[in-house]
Amino acid sequence: MKLAFTLNRRPCEAEAPDHWTVLDLLRDGLSLMGTKYGCGEGVCGTCTVLADGRPIRACLVLAAHARGRALVTVEGLEVDGQADPLQRAFAERGAAQCGFCTPGMMLAAKALLLENPAPTEHEVREALSGNLCRCTGYTKIVEAVLAAAPGAR
Amino acid sequence: MRLQPFGLVEPESLTEAVDAIARLDGEARLVGGGTALVPMIRLGLVKPDRLVSLQRVPSLKGIRLDGEALELGAMATHADVEHSRIVRAGWPLVAEAVHRVATPAIRTSGTIGGNLAYAESASDPAPALMCHDAEVRVAGPRGSRTVPIARFFRGFYEAALEPGEIVTSVRVPPAPAGARGGYVKYTSRSAEDKPLVGVAALITLDAAGRCTHVRLALGGAAPTPIRAERAEAALQGDTLTDASARAAAELAARDAEPLSDLMGSADYRREMIRVWVRRLLISLRDGGR
Repeated sequence: MKLAFTLNRRPCEAEAPDHWTVLDLLRDGLSLMGTKYGCGEGVCGTCTVLADGRPIRACLVLAAHARGRALVTVEGLEVDGQADPLQRAFAERGAAQCGFCTPGMMLAAKALLLENPAPTEHEVREALSGNLCRCTGYTKIVEAVLAAAPGAR
Repeated sequence: MRLQPFGLVEPESLTEAVDAIARLDGEARLVGGGTALVPMIRLGLVKPDRLVSLQRVPSLKGIRLDGEALELGAMATHADVEHSRIVRAGWPLVAEAVHRVATPAIRTSGTIGGNLAYAESASDPAPALMCHDAEVRVAGPRGSRTVPIARFFRGFYEAALEPGEIVTSVRVPPAPAGARGGYVKYTSRSAEDKPLVGVAALITLDAAGRCTHVRLALGGAAPTPIRAERAEAALQGDTLTDASARAAAELAARDAEPLSDLMGSADYRREMIRVWVRRLLISLRDGGR
């Protein structure tokens, strides 16, 4: 089937078999490897991307259901060569260790900051509750999100 | 790992959806948000040849008032429900329970109709909807009908849906004037897990502190979500005290038929029902939330 949607602020058309998920579409159809395949069951959160500004699990959502929606992946966080404040904060504060959870973490955080530019630590933790880090780096991740919040400065 | 291949049918009206599922009887599964079905396909638990998607059926979307009642379209996502001004203002117990479903990125896809049709015992929304005496509206090849939610859960992962029937909406009557409601979710492993037990209550107290209206419902306490009817009857007309809350919790625990699974044993579940029913009742008495 043919799908038209917006990907990282650009119109996009792609061909996908019926049984593909958004994750298959991104990685295999469009060769965007930033979005990771973790558990495949919606538990770990590393495949989190934005759809119309809200977080979704790319491994659970059928590609067909992306039709007409605006997707943002980790590749789309950078705008005009400028890293997103979240990317800078994660780098500056050492909020990535192996890095496998990082794309999903940053997009879950991006969804929070779009809705709430000055979150509390509790709100950050709740927004990231579906994103697992097996290097146990949550403290620095939460600090980075708080530092990147536009309302925090 | 890819999903086992299937064909996708995308009807654009309820009639087309009912026709599609009837035509493909036995070969097709309905998909709403996919948060339950896609993992089952990935794990090989179901191997449908076709999926009939409800995403493009406009009449299943939306949250609106139907007279005094709340009407949740089956394809309203948990995120739509928890953020809805209508729900938050008039049905705070429903908003609170739906907010506790899984994690933010699941709530943006998973739907209220899918949650009920899946008939999971440890559903967060189901006990809250049972406290409101909600009705589930379904449509199928023989027309539409309405099922009281107390009769909607027929067995372990089994909803009272006939072959070819689709959940179209959930009608939620308002709480009685002055009612106080609450939902507590106890998880034994991690915050975003399904509840080991979930307890919802909706209670009206008169000036003397007597319960004039009581609804108490449990998730994770039996093969299906259940009302704790003996506990409700014991509280009805009685003053809500530490002792009556404890007695009601004991009845609720005795009425439960919990299962043992990876989250906890049946005995542990029963004990947690005893604890959380009592705590919720006392917090409603004291906090009036």
